[in-house]
Amino acid sequence: MSYEAYLNDRNVILTVAPTGGVHGKDKNQNLPEQPEEIAEQVAACEELGASICHLHARDEHGENDAGRIQEVNDAVRERCDDIVIQNTTGGQSTYDARVQGIRTDPAPDMASLDMGPFNRGQHIITEHTRNNIDQLAAEMRKKGIKPELECFNNGHINEVYRLIERDALEEPYYFNLVFGHGTFTPPTPENVLNLVSNLPESSEFNLLAVGRHQLPLTTLSMILGGHVRVGMEDNLYYRKSEPVQSNAQLVDRTARIADLLEADLATPAETRERLGIE
Amino acid sequence: MTCPYLDYRRSDEDHEFDHDRPYCTVAEEFVSPMKADICNDRHEFDHTSDCETYPDEQASEEKESGSEAIRADASE
Ligand code: SF4
Repeated sequence: MSYEAYLNDRNVILTVAPTGGVHGKDKNQNLPEQPEEIAEQVAACEELGASICHLHARDEHGENDAGRIQEVNDAVRERCDDIVIQNTTGGQSTYDARVQGIRTDPAPDMASLDMGPFNRGQHIITEHTRNNIDQLAAEMRKKGIKPELECFNNGHINEVYRLIERDALEEPYYFNLVFGHGTFTPPTPENVLNLVSNLPESSEFNLLAVGRHQLPLTTLSMILGGHVRVGMEDNLYYRKSEPVQSNAQLVDRTARIADLLEADLATPAETRERLGIE
Repeated sequence: MTCPYLDYRRSDEDHEFDHDRPYCTVAEEFVSPMKADICNDRHEFDHTSDCETYPDEQASEEKESGSEAIRADASE
């Protein structure tokens, strides 16, 4: 995807990430945690034009619980029309917990695939060894699950090239470029341009930026021919000092920006076709 | 072992929830889902060494008594 593509083919894939694994309701009471709450918010986002939902599961205390991802998937399927389900295989937990995201029945359309570790807080390093990445990629390919290749910093793009050389991925390669604090790529427009220029042929890219960077950098992504992810996983505020009321509020703003940029939002069916999801 | 300072509460002055949530009695606030892993010593995170909120003097006392226990084991 390129600026040229934006001019000629203005079809933007909008992903909503409603929950994540970092924040809790104590930070924003509107963050959905339980399966029904998540499904209700995802359905509202689908109505507004989101075609992919990126899902995490929590236990009744709001703590991360990959074992409930099946319940979350069931609730979303029940409430939504056709949205593409993308389960996480990321986060700070063990490989055995994270792999649950690709062992649901039915399997999800997509799953995130972190391209390497990153720091969380003072003492957490997410466990994403090359061996784990290779195993997840192989299982996804076998099951026809499209990986979203999560690049938290520049070096993670090298890891995608490594997988391509091993013939572990199918085209188009769907990147998720992550911008933010800590070991993420520093959130600047220059770094967005730099990363995009390093992507292989036959790539599509999505952009995620945390907190107040969500609005400007996802807008830039659309102009560059990329796709966007918004949601309360990445951003708990609508604007400075104003907590987000729901995921739909963020999706609605993004849909309006896409419209102003004269871009269409891809439907779930168009998203599946574009990414080669059966 | 779960941190002795971890409590599960449904409310504080600012919040009221449907279910009990992890609450740090040192910081006197609810802890994030990410941090709750440390409070519960999940995935090899140890609250005495990996938590910046855990009281320092308590951590060193526990380490001290831990090393005494190790010394006692070794002498058996
Ligand atoms: S935040 Fe630290 S001190 Fe507080 S309960 Fe958790 S581990 Fe214990």
